[in-house]
Amino acid sequence: MLEQLLQLGGSVVAVLLLAWICAKLGLGADVRIGSEDEAKRLAAEALCGFEATELALDRAGIGALLRDKEGRVMLLRRHGAMFASRLLDSHAFARLDRNFLTIGTGEETFGKVTLDLGDKAQVWASSLRHLGGATHA
Amino acid sequence: MPDFNPVTYAIPGFVLLVLVEMIWARRKAPEKYEPRDTLISLGMGLGSNVAGLLTGGLIAALYLAVYPFRLLDIGWQWWAWILCFVLDDMAYYWFHRFAHRVRWMWASHVNHHSSQHYNLSTALRQTWTGTIALGFLFRMPLLLIGFHPAMIFFCAGLNLIYQFWFHTEAIKKCPRWFEAVMNTPSHHRVHHATNPLYLDRNYAGVFIVWDKLFGTFQPELDDQRIHYGIVKQLGSFNLLWVAFHEWIGIARDVWNAPWGSKFGYVWRPPGWSHDGSRDTSDAIRERWLAMQREAPAE
Repeated sequence: MLEQLLQLGGSVVAVLLLAWICAKLGLGADVRIGSEDEAKRLAAEALCGFEATELALDRAGIGALLRDKEGRVMLLRRHGAMFASRLLDSHAFARLDRNFLTIGTGEETFGKVTLDLGDKAQVWASSLRHLGGATHA
Repeated sequence: MPDFNPVTYAIPGFVLLVLVEMIWARRKAPEKYEPRDTLISLGMGLGSNVAGLLTGGLIAALYLAVYPFRLLDIGWQWWAWILCFVLDDMAYYWFHRFAHRVRWMWASHVNHHSSQHYNLSTALRQTWTGTIALGFLFRMPLLLIGFHPAMIFFCAGLNLIYQFWFHTEAIKKCPRWFEAVMNTPSHHRVHHATNPLYLDRNYAGVFIVWDKLFGTFQPELDDQRIHYGIVKQLGSFNLLWVAFHEWIGIARDVWNAPWGSKFGYVWRPPGWSHDGSRDTSDAIRERWLAMQREAPAE
């Protein structure tokens, strides 16, 4: 039993050490969406058949909102050195603060993201209201 | 029963190779690693070991209880080890195939696929709930044939060790003869990809021949930019969510489904829904293939 506990303790230390080395080596990447085409590609990769016809890109490239011809709205946001996405539905909420739109998916673990959409923020905030549950503050 | 697990002795090698790959990544492609993702993968590996300690005895007891009902007395001859290793790998293939096609089993196996990265730390991202998912049943036929449980455990350990090294993007292709017979980084990248063409392909553990034999082989193509992970990426670095999200998803779906459909959310493929509102991997692949047929030729 003691041997197993020591082994477990050693493993915890090894795990933390490896993750620390990973960070110290500067691994990972400050990924940004560089263009509208890239946002469209990422959206199509995230959901087969999603062809964006409209989009708003965050000014710093950390995320985007996209709409396809079927009217589906996708939130694309940075996740570590990759991107993750969700289709927004009636559980989503949006809060507008000038050019900044904070969007939540209703999925707690996915979290919220605040995008600087410039002058497109208001238009998108207003259009998200039509999803059903989106609220504005 | 002899208590020797080769995986225990391989762990220092795993750690060393992860370090080597990190140094490679620093020089060639820093984005191949992400510290939080690596921490989650290693944390899952550690938790999986603990879960194994807690449930391994139960499985060993079950195997020992079944072994007396064997058809043959195979014993410990040298050829029995080789045969056991090969048959165990076939059993692994079928376990793995079911683990992708039955949501109850996927709820456990999804842990291994939930990283959007593909590196050696991903190999260590293992489930905590494998026993609940009933994966151990797939090795039962080996017991009934007559292989001793200790021999099966040893071969399963070697199988797991082999599967470590090919979780990498640092190796593009191996020699042709090797790619033809063995599972390789290239074959397994396909398995971890979410590209529609690649979904639910290349289930092999050691020998890729099982996929070729049973119709699930897909070679890695140069024109497919691979994206890794799961169809609905988690978007979270919460260890507990990573470990249990699909079980919670099953519970929610079963709770909300009409009575006649509840069980479907347990045994049907991931992505199945009673109202057709979600996509299985087959549906995604069909849609993608239809899009390719409709796309104008370049």
